[in-house]
Amino acid sequence: MVLSDLVLQICQVLCVLLLAPLLQGFILKAEERVQRSRGPSLIQPYRDLWKLFHKELVLPESASWIFWIAPFVAFTAMLIVPILIPVLTDRPLPLSDMGDMLGGGMVLTLGSFAILLAGLDSGNVYGGIGSSRAVMLGILAEPTLILVLVGISLLAKAMLPFVVNHLLLSSLSVYWSPAHVFLILGFFALLLVETDRLPIHSSTHIEIYMIDEARILEYSGPLLALLKWASMMKQFILYIIFCNVFLLPWGMSQLGTPLGQLGSVFTLLLKFLLVALAVVVVETVQSRLRFYRYQEPLAAGFLFAVLAIVSSQLL
Amino acid sequence: MFLAHVNSLEASIFSSLAILSLLLAFVMLGSHWLRNYVYAFAAESWLIAALSAAVGYFGGYRELYAIAVLTALFRGLVLPWLLVRIISHLNVKREMHAVLQPSSSLVVGALLVMFAFVIANHMNHETATAGHVVVLALTIMISLKLLGFLMLSVRNEAISQILGLLVLENGIFLGSQILVPGMPMLIEIVILFDLLIVVACFGMLVRYLVVHAGTTSSRELQKLVG
Amino acid sequence: MAYDLALILFLAPAIAAIASLLLRQPRIAEYLTVAAAVIDLVVSIPMLVSVLRNGPVTALHGYVLIDTLGTWVMICIAIVYALSSLYAVGYMRLLNEEGRLSLFYSLFSGFAFTMFAACVMNNAGVFWIAIELTTLISTFLVGFEREAESTEAAWKYIVVVSSGISLALLGTVLFYWGGSFVLGPTYAMTWAALHQSAAQVYTPLLTVSFLLVLVGYGTKAGLAPMHTWLPDAHSESPAPVSAMLSGALLNASMLGIARFLAVVDGTRTSRFAHSAVVSFGIFSFVLAALFIVRQTDVKRLMAYSSVEHIGVQALGLGFGGALGVAGTLYHMLNHSLNKSLMFFGSGNAMRAYGTKDIGGIRSVLRTFPASGTLWLLGAVGIAGAPPFALFLSEFTILRAGMGGRYRWAAILFVVFLIVVFIGFLSHFRSMYFDQTAEPGEKLSGLAWRALPMWLAFAPILILGLWWPQHLWSVFARISSNLVGVAQ
Repeated sequence: MVLSDLVLQICQVLCVLLLAPLLQGFILKAEERVQRSRGPSLIQPYRDLWKLFHKELVLPESASWIFWIAPFVAFTAMLIVPILIPVLTDRPLPLSDMGDMLGGGMVLTLGSFAILLAGLDSGNVYGGIGSSRAVMLGILAEPTLILVLVGISLLAKAMLPFVVNHLLLSSLSVYWSPAHVFLILGFFALLLVETDRLPIHSSTHIEIYMIDEARILEYSGPLLALLKWASMMKQFILYIIFCNVFLLPWGMSQLGTPLGQLGSVFTLLLKFLLVALAVVVVETVQSRLRFYRYQEPLAAGFLFAVLAIVSSQLL
Repeated sequence: MFLAHVNSLEASIFSSLAILSLLLAFVMLGSHWLRNYVYAFAAESWLIAALSAAVGYFGGYRELYAIAVLTALFRGLVLPWLLVRIISHLNVKREMHAVLQPSSSLVVGALLVMFAFVIANHMNHETATAGHVVVLALTIMISLKLLGFLMLSVRNEAISQILGLLVLENGIFLGSQILVPGMPMLIEIVILFDLLIVVACFGMLVRYLVVHAGTTSSRELQKLVG
Repeated sequence: MAYDLALILFLAPAIAAIASLLLRQPRIAEYLTVAAAVIDLVVSIPMLVSVLRNGPVTALHGYVLIDTLGTWVMICIAIVYALSSLYAVGYMRLLNEEGRLSLFYSLFSGFAFTMFAACVMNNAGVFWIAIELTTLISTFLVGFEREAESTEAAWKYIVVVSSGISLALLGTVLFYWGGSFVLGPTYAMTWAALHQSAAQVYTPLLTVSFLLVLVGYGTKAGLAPMHTWLPDAHSESPAPVSAMLSGALLNASMLGIARFLAVVDGTRTSRFAHSAVVSFGIFSFVLAALFIVRQTDVKRLMAYSSVEHIGVQALGLGFGGALGVAGTLYHMLNHSLNKSLMFFGSGNAMRAYGTKDIGGIRSVLRTFPASGTLWLLGAVGIAGAPPFALFLSEFTILRAGMGGRYRWAAILFVVFLIVVFIGFLSHFRSMYFDQTAEPGEKLSGLAWRALPMWLAFAPILILGLWWPQHLWSVFARISSNLVGVAQ
């Protein structure tokens, strides 16, 4: 029995919504395990979200309507993006031509932008610091993201992620071509930055290191839960793009049967396991870079993206 | 010529491996911790060994498997180990007083790669896929040479100079795997062992430098001029 | 017959090297080395005669080729080997390094062995390996004295020369690649095979390959601007080693350039190749002349004179033709003799006066009446004046140059020859005829150190006054073989 397209679409969004905290829990636990301690349980992020939804909401006096709206904007943006990208099926579903890859990137950035404004909104010092640092990182990272998307579009001669996925599945020579290898490396650098991993972010709450935690310092209760969930979903989405579009385009459901969907979910989790382990290894091996050296990994990513574009034209 | 019959998958694999090797040379250029150089060099040697095995697989040259294994073993393990030993005996961890900052040397390196590309284009008269891989192989060979010379000129430490030399040799080896995989095995093996002897001699000399000249940095070896 | 002689030629230094290392007796090592060197000298001349009469000999599955050009260079090397080993006996005893002397002689003979090996290699790749081995062994000879300066010189030597000849390896691989278009993916890289395929190789590829080989082996030979290692290495090494480096090793590297010139001969690259060689040659000559004028160190002066003479040899090869090649070959012989004489004299002076500074060496004739005169006459000879042999060879090269396209180079040659003459001899004038206080001390073992100087001087004088007709025909044969290497 083939599920209808609408159901499939809803399944994709639900998958992202429900499985994002699991990925976060896995990464945290794996990091601790690598350092030979026990780490929190895998479903701890679920428990945290549950706890936050039941807490009292406290607002600063200087907050305006932006403070209220930002978590909803971010959350909604993260719900829109899974409609546009290949999550479970590898054929385009009805609403997925609402936006191509650049459109998806823009929606993702819209979510981050909303949180940025919220950080500035209450006039808190830490919010200001967090926002300005996040903007600086954005300035360095966004061109790389755009160039990576341009690179992959040049390779596939189309802007849709589904076309890219099919191309990589069908043609091994494109998979191993230098352009593609560079795009993988460039996107991996971006992945590390955008999902708050070292060498840029640190998980402590010491003021001089915070970037993302600083922005949401004023939030509490359900709004904080929404923000945390949004960032976990962003991580999940970036992983989806990395795996399904760039690195491991295999294992997605083609027909749309329920069993196929379950299998697709399972393969997705397996792919994420591999990538998450790689990320954990990278994070454990290095320490945090000093602030003025944040440009270096991003410059490397930029270089990779440029090289990808150059080699796709020359070779 | 072997490359005349290469199809697009093979071309992609060769190109990727070769370009990643070049990238590791840039990593070497851009870092000033000596251990990072050695690790990047080891990774580069492993990539070149993989390339050798790939050429052997696709071209049907059985003896290239043996050369790939030897390369991975000697250039990828033994040489880096020897160099790390020399570094740990030397008490030097990084380049002080670099003539060129790492970022500027990366830019100069990029210019050199472009120059190598121009020469390689000039030297080649094939067209089609084969032509692309040929130009790429020649470019990377010549640019690894030029980058090796750049490393030799702007670095002061003795170990960096040894590594620059080894990058030179790596470049030749890379190019010869793609362009002339049929070169008699005797020559390739002898060159490989020759490299080991070279590094052993360098190791001895570095020790003499430390004992008699008191330093391994060529900034201070300024007694003989004119 | 040539094969058997070659076998003796190689066995002698090999046995001397191994035995010196194992027995660790300095006296035995000295005598073994001298014996091996004299055997090699005695054996090399009949080898040339045999090759001239019976044609070139190949051996070891075609890896070894004993031909006229290689044999001629081997004779030059053997002469220097013999003279230097004689000199080394007396000189090294002054160094107070009795414990390590056997190692020195072992390396010395090993060095000679690898140079001989380089001359007979038929395969371009194995030739490169032999040259690399000469570098490795001679580095330890250069740094033998374990001082700060000699270690620095040895380090500079090995880094510059190794990186330089890696360029030559690149050129060799590119030559092989070019040949693989014609001869198939796997073939033996002999000089004949390379020459045979050269005509059909894409011209820019051939040009780039030749340039790389020229720069690579030119580094080893000491052509400017790749000569930067030469003054340091030749001045810091012990005097017998300096003589070997200047007189023998540079010739072996020029052999490589000559062979590759022969490979591209007759193709469209040939003209460019000859122009490149001439340019490097004249640049070396001019640079060396300028540096000679302002030298303050006597052994560096000799080293720059080596650069100058290598430039002259390159000019000869570049001018080409029968005259040019004949001049170069004759120059190889004369330079070996004369330069050995000069290094021996400067070694004596260094030890007697305790300094290498020209300013510290005065009134040489009072310390060394007989060998000092020889040294002075050798200086006149090496500056290119008659009646010494170098004048004849330089004149031949000049004639070759004036007659062809490279007249500009020949004119520059003459002008800077005058500069060299004046500069070089003004240093010697100050060493011999300026009056200052301290004379040098007379050290023991002068007989060992003076005899090679006489032995080196006599042929220079004789060959300067009389160029044997027989020798001329030998050169003519070699140059025709050089042009038509496809045998």
